[in-house]
Amino acid sequence: MSIAAPEPKANMGRPEPRLDARLKVTGEARYPSDVPVGNPLHAVLVTSAIAKGRLDRLDTEAARAVPGVVEIFTAENTRELKPLEYTPGGGGASTSVQGLGPDIAHDGQIIAMVVAESFEVAREAAYKVKATYAREAPSASFGAAGLDEKPAGKEFPKAGDAAAALSAADVVVDAEYGTPTQHHNPIELFTTTCVWDGEHLTVHEPSQFVYGLKNSVAKRLGIDPAKVRVVSTYIGGAFGSKAQLTPRTPLVALAAKRLGRPVKLVASRDQGFTIATYRAETKHRIRLGARRDGKITAYTHDGREVTSRPDAYKVAGVSDTVRLYDFGTVATSVNVVHADRNTPGFMRSPPVVPYVYALESAMDELAVALGMDPVELRRINDVTKDTVSGKSWSSRSLMKCYDEAAAAFGWSRRTAEPGSMRDGEWLVGWGCATACYPTHMAATTARVRLLPSGEVRVQVAAHDIGTGAYTVIGQTAAERLGVPLAAVTVELGDSDLPPGPVAGGSTTTASTCSAVIKACDAIREKLVRAASTANDGPLAGRSPSDLSFTDGRAVASDGAAESVADVMQRLGTAALEEYAEYIPHGVQQDGIRKLYSGRAAMTGGPHGDKIMYALGAEFVEVRVHARTREVRVPRAVGAFAGGRILNPRTAHSQLMGGMIWGIGSALHEATEIDPREARYVNDNISEYLIPVNADVPRIDVIMVPEEDAEVNPAGVKGLGELGNVGTAAAIANAVYHATGKRIRDLPIRIEDLL
Amino acid sequence: MTPDHSARPEGRSSPAAPGLDRRSFLGAGACGAAVPLLGAASAAAQPAVAAAPDVRRPLDVKLRINGQDHRLALDSRTTLLDVLREEVGLTGTKKGCDQGQCGACTVLLDGTRVLSCLTLAVMAEGRAVTTIEGLARPDGSLHPMQQAFVDHDAFQCGYCTPGQILSAVACVQEGHAKDDAQIREYMSGNLCRCAAYPNIVAAINQAKSEMGA
Amino acid sequence: MQPFIYQRAETLEAAAQAAAASRGSHVEAPVQFVAGGTTLLDLMKIDVMRPATVVDINPLQERYGAIATDDKGLRLGALARMAQVADHPSVRRDFPVIAQTLDLAASQQLRNMATLGGNLLQRTRCNYFRDVSWAACNKRNPGSGCAALDGMNRKHAVLGTSDQCIATYPGDFAQALVALDATLEIAGPQGRREIAVQQLHKQPGSTPNIETQLVPGELITAILVPSAPWTRRSLYLKVRDRESYEFALASAAVALDIADGEVREARIALGGVATMPWRAKEAEAALRGRRLDEAAAEAAAEAAFAGAQTHEHNAYKVPLGRRTLVRALLDAARLEIRS
Repeated sequence: MSIAAPEPKANMGRPEPRLDARLKVTGEARYPSDVPVGNPLHAVLVTSAIAKGRLDRLDTEAARAVPGVVEIFTAENTRELKPLEYTPGGGGASTSVQGLGPDIAHDGQIIAMVVAESFEVAREAAYKVKATYAREAPSASFGAAGLDEKPAGKEFPKAGDAAAALSAADVVVDAEYGTPTQHHNPIELFTTTCVWDGEHLTVHEPSQFVYGLKNSVAKRLGIDPAKVRVVSTYIGGAFGSKAQLTPRTPLVALAAKRLGRPVKLVASRDQGFTIATYRAETKHRIRLGARRDGKITAYTHDGREVTSRPDAYKVAGVSDTVRLYDFGTVATSVNVVHADRNTPGFMRSPPVVPYVYALESAMDELAVALGMDPVELRRINDVTKDTVSGKSWSSRSLMKCYDEAAAAFGWSRRTAEPGSMRDGEWLVGWGCATACYPTHMAATTARVRLLPSGEVRVQVAAHDIGTGAYTVIGQTAAERLGVPLAAVTVELGDSDLPPGPVAGGSTTTASTCSAVIKACDAIREKLVRAASTANDGPLAGRSPSDLSFTDGRAVASDGAAESVADVMQRLGTAALEEYAEYIPHGVQQDGIRKLYSGRAAMTGGPHGDKIMYALGAEFVEVRVHARTREVRVPRAVGAFAGGRILNPRTAHSQLMGGMIWGIGSALHEATEIDPREARYVNDNISEYLIPVNADVPRIDVIMVPEEDAEVNPAGVKGLGELGNVGTAAAIANAVYHATGKRIRDLPIRIEDLL
Repeated sequence: MTPDHSARPEGRSSPAAPGLDRRSFLGAGACGAAVPLLGAASAAAQPAVAAAPDVRRPLDVKLRINGQDHRLALDSRTTLLDVLREEVGLTGTKKGCDQGQCGACTVLLDGTRVLSCLTLAVMAEGRAVTTIEGLARPDGSLHPMQQAFVDHDAFQCGYCTPGQILSAVACVQEGHAKDDAQIREYMSGNLCRCAAYPNIVAAINQAKSEMGA
Repeated sequence: MQPFIYQRAETLEAAAQAAAASRGSHVEAPVQFVAGGTTLLDLMKIDVMRPATVVDINPLQERYGAIATDDKGLRLGALARMAQVADHPSVRRDFPVIAQTLDLAASQQLRNMATLGGNLLQRTRCNYFRDVSWAACNKRNPGSGCAALDGMNRKHAVLGTSDQCIATYPGDFAQALVALDATLEIAGPQGRREIAVQQLHKQPGSTPNIETQLVPGELITAILVPSAPWTRRSLYLKVRDRESYEFALASAAVALDIADGEVREARIALGGVATMPWRAKEAEAALRGRRLDEAAAEAAAEAAFAGAQTHEHNAYKVPLGRRTLVRALLDAARLEIRS
């Protein structure tokens, strides 16, 4: 076992290598823009240079004159695209379905698309499209004139009289925090290739929700969704950016239809900043009141989030943060601030990344104010009954995570005084914070087929965005049907398959595997019945509960066995195939019908009978140069409990990658917005910094065994969005420990520490 | 793949250029290297380009990719990356930024790692191009670096992986894989948004001994 | 990218001749040379540069890409690749500051591609310059204004700026050369000439579109770095947000000749903070004849940034630049030099 493939502990599966590993290391895995299509035209987008106003004139003459240009799509010739309603979590943002002008609602809005015989020609011509605007002064972000701020909802979590508890508290922390605009920047660009065969459209596009995309594209085109197929076999990173319809897809589809040839678009990196979504900037005011002994008595959290003019997109992470500790009293609010921007959207752990950053920073400030070890503060306030709802937790292993991570990190050697752990020219700081992510389940289906040879095929339009979904789904079927993993083929990412959940909310493993288990169990039942009710078979008369499946055989507890092939022959069938629907407790019974029509139905976290969260504890060491103040993270340790771990290898990678995301979030990532023009300035991955290999010397991931039979049949909590929660707070807390400076606005940069 | 095919795939309107006359070769022969530098007058008297050539006429380009010869009629602007992906059908090489910022398009040119997005295809003439498709052995067995990436789960989404692997192979061959710190530094030109970095370092450590480094 | 005629130059003379008819400033000339392509093709893709002819000078590498040393110094062919020079044992031993500026720049892929000459001529990363949808950029479009002056200028220069342009010179290598008094051999339609590297770049002044004193058709063919008592005690310190693969927020190339605890000679160039490779002669003067302690280093740093002009988001570059220089000087003074 290597570090990448940890030895399984209790309630963990085997660390199998990924089923798609060979394809990915040989270049054979075909991402959507890799799929060969015959005789394609190439499209290049033209986007607006203003954020607000009108397109006065769009001169396409010079562009049309470039030899090889076939057509230029503008507002004039794309009016047949149908409007689509904004549904958070569904179709797409208003800024994704707007026309190509003349109204301009945000920087980088698509105003034209050039289609040409080659990419080179299309790109050349795109620069020759000249736009003239009637510009209006835009409102960019917090602090700008002309913003429209309003409550993001009617009610936010509240418990008891927080104001009174604050005034009675021995110690009060009252602080404001801020998080910046961030863009997902998966390395794969936003690509779309559309191919028509008569009335039937195939869309090759990296997608986290092929059924959602299929249905929203169909609506926008005004055609029957049954005639649209979305294929997204491999996805080159997504992180939320590929979960919704973006404006490009219907446009490419329309172009391909009109021109009678496949059209291929590979949007440029800078366009990706404005044609898809992003994590909006947030501000927070937090007050924590506590008794001298560390018991928290009050928590108030007022969040503010930027969004677009038309859409009240919000993440409102207070509904998660209030669950974390025994707060005594709680008062929260969330406002949205409408600005002249594209609509934000899901980005890895959308609600908890900014809100937990703020809370976990405040927790550290409280620990400092109390003169108490921050781990002990969390222990004192560990919770068994939710402050707001009174519900109990399905399982909660937070302090186990803290204890294991603290031991591995060497936390006991920490000296509390800021600046006290200097190593030569480097100031050393140690900090910690809690990670959490609500356990979500989504309605989903799955189809499983077993052949007499023992070969198994699993089909579901779920998505492997790098998470290992192919592998854990395959493992689940293999285990359930008693066949080797090598005998299982998993098909995902194609809307011709039975619908699967959106690859969001960390639902895929929990939901899809629950559906696969259901389908496999139906196959097992048929096999068991055939084996046990037959008069002449070796298992005749056995009780169904006495039989298990292993190595392609049905086996009784006394060792009597019959091969699956023989049982199937007895059944007179060449294949056993089952289609199953999994509707999690709490999701309406029409959840599957909705899923077919492209709407995700999800439950979990605080919304069920029990409070359901995956939790973790992260410890980091930062080094700040005493003179030049670079901040580096030489090591980090995270311990996480997420229910059953189906594959410790892929789980380890997700948690590790998440923690590195947290490093980026704390120290590197921020989209700069020019306040005069409400335009993104560093819209490239040279200036929008993400961690590079040299930034990550050492990450230790500990998986804490946890069993939770209540969350879902698979016992899985979901890990994809857990690792990057809390990391930024741990780093900010460590920077305080190193320097004595509390930085409350991310990212923490050299200039903050000079 | 057809070796030495002279026409680009269907769909391009430009005809293939049969000869080399469409590209100017400057100074071969007439101006020997030993001749003193020209003054302004003689430069004016001998314009390098006599008549305005058609900038849109395709260039006849011969490329050697993974040991196979390809003859292509290319727009002078076409990058090696776009030729590999759109003309030759080798889509293992990925476009992640098209600006030399991410490393996903890394290929080997005469064994040296370069970015194919900032390399004009015509500039790769006469050099051996190695892509991810050319790394496994002819019998299909994986290169030690590919196997190490599998063993150490050195990727998640896999999109940056071909570039990482070629970069890693070169990193070892350059002698820049002495220790973890050096590997990290010399692999920092390959962004991995899934952040498999520590596993990539582990994979390189495994492969380097098998590569005899 | 606009279409262009691609030509391959087999000789220097042919290259120079091909570009001789070109007019305007070197960067605006309709004929451009390409070697690594890491600047030119990048800027052509985003429509910042639009040459009608691109002359590939890679065939000249064999003749103009060699690395040679003798007791007079180091001669670097301008077509040598950055990676090749960075790994050269004599460069690493005798001119560590040069090797370090190359090692710490870009990525290994880019260093394998980019030539020394091209690296010296790389153009600013100012986002307002690189994005043609911003109308105001005096460098790209003279007289149009400067969007960076009141814009997002965290990475912009504080030294050598003008009210027309505050774009930072992004390179590292040039700082080492400037500090070491290196010279350039240049060939062009008017013949050969030699200039100090310090003379190559120009401050933006009222003509930010003219970045160097090269005229169209001129090519850098070689870089000469004289041996001196201070080249071995030299280093490059580059400060940035992340550990690697990022342009400098502030950097310092320093070379010291220290005898009997006293600075006999100091050579200092600053990067990341100026519109061109910035030789800090006042700082050098402040050190000469002094013991290099904290106070002396700080006095030098103070002198280096005396003329700094800051804007809304880059005021930090003055204290950061000073601290970078102090750290570099103290580190260099502590180096163990084996003879």
